[in-house]
Formats: sequence, structure tokens, C-alpha cells
Amino acid sequence: MTYREKERLNLGCRRFSGARGRSIIGACVFIIVGLPSIFNPAYAATPSLAERVIEHRLANGLTVLMVERHQTPVVSINITFAVGGIDEQVGQTGLAHLYEHMAFKGTRGVGTTSYENEKPILDDLALVGTELDQRQRDLATKGSGATAEERAAIESLQNRLVELQTQASRYVVGNEMALLYQRHGGVGLNASTGKDVTRYMISLPSNRLPLWAAIESDRMANPVLREFYKERGVVMEERRLRNEDSPNGLLFETFTSAAFRAHGYGVPTIGWGSDILSLTPAATEAFFKTHYGPNRATIALVGDINPQETIALIEQTFGKIPAAPPAPPLVTIEPEQRGERRVDVEFNAEPAIVIGYHKPTLGDSDDDVFDVIDAVLSDGLTSRLHHKLVREKRLAVSVGSDASHPGVRAPNLFVVTATPLAPHTTAEVETAIYEELERLKREPVSPQELEKVLNNLDADLVRGLRSNSGLAAQLSLYQAVAGGWRYIVTSRDKVAKVTAADVQRVATQYFTKSNRTVAVLVKKQTEKAVAGVPAGEVRP
Amino acid sequence: MRTMRGKGGGVRGGGIAGLVGVAMLLASVTTVCAGELSLGDPRTMVFKPVEFSPPEPERVVLDNGMVLYLLEDHELPLVSITATMRTGSWLDPIDKIGLAGMTGAVMRTGGGGGLSAEQVDAELEQFAANVSIGIGRQSGSASLDILSKDVKRGLEIFAGLIRTPAFDPARVELVKLQAIEGIRRRQDNPGSIVGREFAKMLYGAAHPSARESSLDSVTRITRDDLVTFHHNTIHPNGMILGVTGDFKKDEMVASLRTVFGNWKKGTVPELRIVDVPEAELSRPVVRFVGKETSQTHLRVGHLSIKENDPDYVALAIANDILGGSSFRSRLFNDVRTKRGLAYSVGSRLNTGMHDQGVWLMRAETKLTSTQEVIERFVANIERIRAEPVTDAELAEAKEAYVNSFVFSFASPSAIVSRLIELEYDGLPKDFLQQLRAKVVRLTKEDVLAAAKKHLRPDRLKIVAVGSGEALPKALSTFGEVKEIALSPEG
Repeated sequence: MTYREKERLNLGCRRFSGARGRSIIGACVFIIVGLPSIFNPAYAATPSLAERVIEHRLANGLTVLMVERHQTPVVSINITFAVGGIDEQVGQTGLAHLYEHMAFKGTRGVGTTSYENEKPILDDLALVGTELDQRQRDLATKGSGATAEERAAIESLQNRLVELQTQASRYVVGNEMALLYQRHGGVGLNASTGKDVTRYMISLPSNRLPLWAAIESDRMANPVLREFYKERGVVMEERRLRNEDSPNGLLFETFTSAAFRAHGYGVPTIGWGSDILSLTPAATEAFFKTHYGPNRATIALVGDINPQETIALIEQTFGKIPAAPPAPPLVTIEPEQRGERRVDVEFNAEPAIVIGYHKPTLGDSDDDVFDVIDAVLSDGLTSRLHHKLVREKRLAVSVGSDASHPGVRAPNLFVVTATPLAPHTTAEVETAIYEELERLKREPVSPQELEKVLNNLDADLVRGLRSNSGLAAQLSLYQAVAGGWRYIVTSRDKVAKVTAADVQRVATQYFTKSNRTVAVLVKKQTEKAVAGVPAGEVRP
Repeated sequence: MRTMRGKGGGVRGGGIAGLVGVAMLLASVTTVCAGELSLGDPRTMVFKPVEFSPPEPERVVLDNGMVLYLLEDHELPLVSITATMRTGSWLDPIDKIGLAGMTGAVMRTGGGGGLSAEQVDAELEQFAANVSIGIGRQSGSASLDILSKDVKRGLEIFAGLIRTPAFDPARVELVKLQAIEGIRRRQDNPGSIVGREFAKMLYGAAHPSARESSLDSVTRITRDDLVTFHHNTIHPNGMILGVTGDFKKDEMVASLRTVFGNWKKGTVPELRIVDVPEAELSRPVVRFVGKETSQTHLRVGHLSIKENDPDYVALAIANDILGGSSFRSRLFNDVRTKRGLAYSVGSRLNTGMHDQGVWLMRAETKLTSTQEVIERFVANIERIRAEPVTDAELAEAKEAYVNSFVFSFASPSAIVSRLIELEYDGLPKDFLQQLRAKVVRLTKEDVLAAAKKHLRPDRLKIVAVGSGEALPKALSTFGEVKEIALSPEG
């Protein structure tokens, strides 16, 4: 069952790079406009697609992007807020993600039989729950030194909490918002939270657009945080599933937090377990009020729509929502790394390795060079790392790279990951990766490699247009993180101008030992795994 | 095995105009349109049914029996071709499990059509073509995704890989090493372990729908085995091609004749998979795998019907209400929303035409709530067997199905791949429309009868992966608990 958020956002932050298929949904549309010469007009079947992106801004700052596609009577909609884990405060990690979960609990109208009746109960619940959390933290600190009275007080609060939850539940219409969408044929209802952005998606038969506008404008203005403590428990299960029981999840969490010492990018989006268990309804409400204004949102609609009617509909609904104050500034800057950092993660799993280098992000011309490096190193069977490590030396089963981990709103990391092929070790793989990085410094990449990068970038951009939801995701993402969807056009242009000398210079500048962080997944044998029971045998 | 065809995510729903019966579902049909907005309560909004007649692909059969489905779509300068092949790992020799999968992998990577492996890779990637080839349990598939300007050359290479793969010995060796590494890494993720062990518990470890390769079986496989497997199972008369995108139909058919037309017919294997005997089906089982984890990873269920069973639609809707419909389902609301015990929870009915289907409930939950979650599973099965679903639940399930039907036909490639699946399985091309008509007619009594007959608490097979001595204790209320001991290399 797929559902809402992912811990890390797998969006087109990998922009023009990497694993094809997963990568970018882009927009040749825009390229055709921006760079008419790139495409042979003979096969650009619809050169006017680019002109079909219609932009509208409401007085309250909400941005609307639309593309009409009338082949099928459906529409895909993506609402992207420029809000994510990066906007959280110390001690409240995971708040952006928890709010996203809570945003499915309804509003003053949807999800309840009587907001008036449940409101006082919800207020009591928040007070009792917050006190209970505090006392449980105290108890954990004192350990066996806690008195019987203190324990009794906790038990009493727990009982009170359960009682209030039972009372509140009498008014809850569970998952009503989702039910409304499903009844009207909605598919792909989902949301995701990343370090940079939070996104809400749905696809619907296109004549249901008024339903969407009614639901989503209400959700943007009047969310009600019901079933808070249950949902916090759900998020804890999600954390266990994605980050604690997954060797890769834990490896990346550890790697990223080692690479960033000060900046919020070092914190896992889902949050640290102890923080999640301390999040309060009050903090969640405050986070909503601070960050969820229409001025922080972009809505992209792609499909069978009439733009004028759509704008009228959105003005009539979302237009009534007041703008929020400007976002609080992000002040923390990651200090320069002064020496290699290495971390091990012990897990009962086969080994793997992640290597990362600090680098600038969108808007810096070196960032475009990293997109080229990313593709040269790991895009396809003929890419350098695959050729060398997987095929020629047979050191690794797979190898990949990513030019913008874990986000793009702040300076980020260029990351190389690999899984060794036994009996070869992560150390051997690591050495071989460094040899390829050194080669980038030493000799220029060939014109043929650069041409291949560009051909694949262009083709991926065209492919990205095939899906309504993919195009909606791309438009709203770049609007939210890059100052405008047209970034897709200008970025492709800049990638096209990257030279072999640029690659050498950037590789030399950033791929240094003192700028890198290395995390290794180390196999930890449990006693059970080595017990001498024959394979497949069942024992009582 | 596929996900449930008529249901699930809407994407597999089906959809077409007509919409007979939709009006029955909607109390009163008034229209809201953007012109005369009176946006009120979304709970009371009513809309016109979706009217949509998807374009009809053309079906062509070449002299050698190869079937083509073609649908032009000139919006973007791309062509997409898929080949569905009547082969599969169900044909693996018993001592060489893994052969079909390796054959598919090296068809893609080992060169062909007179080109070396390196030449194929270099040329395809230089003009940004995506090619994939793989062989699964009950079919093989290949695809070519390419800019329309390059389609002629792309097709030549694609056909070469399918018809005359070179099976470069170095690439065979590489795929073998990778297969072995894959086996070594099988026990790393609890989610992977529980899925595979559950399938083995249902079908038996040697059954074609559950069996797995081993270090021994893969080590035994030679390049000659791959050549023979390809020779024996990949034939033009066992292949259905789907072509969508920016091309002209007549020209495309001519191009396909050029590259595939002179390929001789062969003897196509007839897909037959033995049923698991009744004695095995009725045996409840409780098993666990000990692994250091923070959660218990749970699968609970049993084998089920095939897709052409007369009860299929009623059972699919029962499952949808029980746990198949995400947010809307009883399990989601009970275990996740009300109790906060799991992030991912629900049930699935996975059916096909060639082997018995699987019906299962799943969740991951912390060790201490394991017993409660299984108890909720059982209680929810008992409930759906004991009392009819509510009028609201049935109406919601029907509306969700009918209103999302259009998404089954949302793109040319979706339309074509649907027809190919149906033909592959020997089902009529209006199968989805038939399902939809049955959904519309379905009654609460039908759903109750199907649930009683096909959701069987007395037959549950429970598989849990988790840690600690407490896990077998938590499971012990559901039957005699035994441990599955994993070998280090799967």
C-alpha cells in the first residue's frame, strides 16, 4: 500500500541525471521554447507545448501553473509548499512530516460530525498529552529513582488521555477527506515531505475539479489536528519501517547526519525518535500557521482543464485565504569541512558504502557541472563507474550517484553509493571509486560523453511530459525551490554549455579527501544467523 | 502475479463510456460546473458521470503468428514498443532455478543481432534509447522507448536482441555473479524475507509460484543453458507486441515485418501451473523468522481463487472494503487511524489466470503490539463474514470503482497494455467492462456470501519476521508456533 510521505523526497532533485526512468520528468516543452535550435523541428511534434504553460498569481501570493491536455477527461494536481524538514527547530525534528500526516485528518467541516462539540475535548487532550509526555521524559531521566507517586501520576494521565480519546472519537468521521476523493474516482492520493518541500497530490476525473478546490482550500485554511497521538504512533512505526529496519535507510540517515554538523540537512526528514515522541499539538499548529500560507504554495494542474474556469474556481476558493507572514529566514550555514569523516553502521546485512562531497546548489554554475559529472559517472551501462566497477573489475553489483543530496534549497552533497560483489570489500570498491574521481581531474571527458549526456537529458525531458502527474510535479517543484518553473529551461541551457575543462576544474576543487564523508554498512552477525540449522528446516 | 485487475488503485480498473448504472449510484444527478459556482460542502457535491470512449488500437497478426497492437499518438516525438513473451521461470528445470531470469538479463546485456554487447550498449545510450528485457514467473517482457527519429535503428537493435541474442560469455558470467550476490543479500531486509517466506508457506517451497534460486542452482547454469532456453521458449508466435506513439501505422507495420517477418514459428510452451492440493490449503500455519528488527513484519492469509472465478468480483469488493482500499478500508481505519499501530496496513487479493491467487493481510508493527494487530486482523475477517457490509460501504466501493474506471485508459500505452494482458491470459477484450457491469449489480448478500466462502480464518497462514523471545509468545495464541531457520545465503 503506497501512501503519503516518503522519508526522503525522490523528486527530480536528481534533475537531469542519474538513473533514467526515475529521473526527471522534465519539460521539453520549455526547452523547445527556450532553445529552439536544440530540437530538430522535424520531430518536435508539438513545438507549441511550451506556450501551453499558463501562469497565474493570486493577490495572496498563491501561484497557479496549468497545462491543458485533453486526450482523456482527467486531471492531475500537485500542491507544493516551500516548506520542509529544513524549516524545523532543534528538538522538533519530524514536525514538517508529522504535520503532513495531520493534514489528512480533516477540517472544521470535513472529518467530523461536530467541530463545536469536539473542540473542547481536543483542547483538553492536547494539555493532558503534553503533560504526560513531559512526565514520561522526567521518568526516563530518573529511571529507578522515580517515586511511586510519580508513576501513579503518569498512570492517571494515561487513563485520562484514553478517556478523552474515546470522547473525541465519537465525533470523528475517519479519513473522510480521502473517502470523498475515492468516491469521486480520485487516484494517487498522496503526500510527501522532504527537506525542502511538502507536496499534496491527487488525480481526478476532470469534472470533479470543484470538489478538489473545496477540499483543498478548506485544508489550506482550516485544518483540525484530530487523532494527534494516534498519528504520532503511526509516524513512529513509519520511522521503524523506513529508517530502523532498513539497512539502506539507516546507512543514509547516519551518513547524512555525519556530513552535516550544523545545517538542518543533517537531520532525517522523519525526525529523531525522541523528538517525534515529544511533538505537541501546539507546536504542530504553530508550524502550520507559520509555514502553510498560500504565499508559500504552488498549485500545478495538468490535464483536461479549462484554464479560465480553473482560475475562477481557484480565485473563488483559495483566493479567500489570507497570506501568511514571510517565511522565517534560514540562518544556519554549514561550516567548511576540515577533514575526512568516516562512520560505520552495524547491521545484520551485507555491506554497502556511501561517499559524499559538499558542493554548492542551484544557481551556482558549478552545480550544473555536477549534473554532467553525475551522468558521466553513473547514467547507464556505459557510464564510467558501471563500466569500471561492475563490468571490468567486477568489484560491485551496483553503483550510483546523486548530484543533490538531500535537497536543493541549500548547499548539498554529491553522493556515490555502491554495493560490493563478494568477496570484494567496501575498501576495494572505495579505492576504485576514487580512481575514477581522480581520472575526472586528470583527463578531460570526451566530446562523445558530453554529447551522450545531453542527448539523454533531452530525451528524458520529452519523456517527462508523458504523464500528467509527472509534469505537474516538475512544474510545482521548480516553482517552489528554484524561483520559477522556467529554471528547467535555463538549467538545461547551462548544462549544454558545460565543457570538459569545467569538469576537470570542479572535480579537482571538490573531490578532495578533506571535503568527503564516508559511511560504511558493516555486517553484524547475530547469534541466530550462525546457528547450525540447515537451510529451510523448520524447528519448533 | 498481477494485482487485482478489476480493482486496486484505480489504475487497473477499467473504464469506458457507457456507464450504465452509474445514475443508480448517485442519488440525484445535478451538475456542478465552474461557471455557476456555488461551492458548498464537498460531502454533498454531485457530478455528471465521466463520458469517455478511449481510442481503439489496431490488431494485426504477422504471417509467423506475431500479434501487434498499434495505437498512434503524436503528441510527443516518442515511440514505445513492448513485447510480451510466452515464457517464464515456471519453465526452469528443477535443478537450475534462476535460468529464465538469467536468460532475460543476458538477452539485454549480452549483445545480439550481429552486434557485440559493447556496441549495443554504446549505440543505444548515445541516442538515448531505453531498452529492457526480463523474464518473470509467468511471462517475459521486453521494451524499447525511443525518440521517433531513431526508431528504425532502434527497432533493428531491439529485434536483434530478442531474435538472435549473442550471450557474450563475459556478460553471462557477470549476470551469474550478480545473481549469486543477490542471493547472498536476500536476508538483509525483513520485508523481503517475510514476503518470500509467506509465498513458500502458501504454495510450498518447490512450487513455480514461490520457488527461489539457490547458490547451487545458479552455479550449475551454463551459457549453453541460456542459449537453449531462449531457443526453446522465445518464438514469434508466442509474442504480442504493443506499439504506441509518434509513428504512422502502415509504416510501422512494414518496419516490424522487416525485422520480425522472416522469423520462423516455433513450438510455444503452454502455460500450466499445478494447483496446490486441498489438504495443504486447509492447513493453518504459524511461523516466525528470528531477525534483529524494531518491528514485527507480518503476513497473514491463504491461497485464493483465480480471476475468472464467478465469485471474483464479489470477493474483490469484499477485500476492498476489508483492507484493499487504503484510507477507506476497515483495516486501515481500525489498525492505523484508530489505534496508531502501523504505518502500512491493509489486505490484498492478487489474482491471475494461471495459478491460484493469494489473499493476504499485512502490517509492520512494534513487537509489543504484534498480538493486537493479528487479533484485529482476525476480528475484521470474522466481522466481514458474519454481517453484511453497510449500504454506505458498498456504495462507496462501487462509486470509487466506477468513477476511477477512466484511469485504466488514461494513456495510449495503458490502453494497449491492457489488451495485451487480456489476450495473453485468454480473456475477452471487454473483460474489464464485464467486471464493471458486475460491480454495479453487486449486492450486500453477494459480498457476504463471497466473504464467507473465500475468507477463511480456519485456514490462515501466519508468517512473522521479528526479534526477541516475545515474538513466538505473541504468536502462540494463534496456533502452534514454529521457527523458520534461514540459511545465511538464502
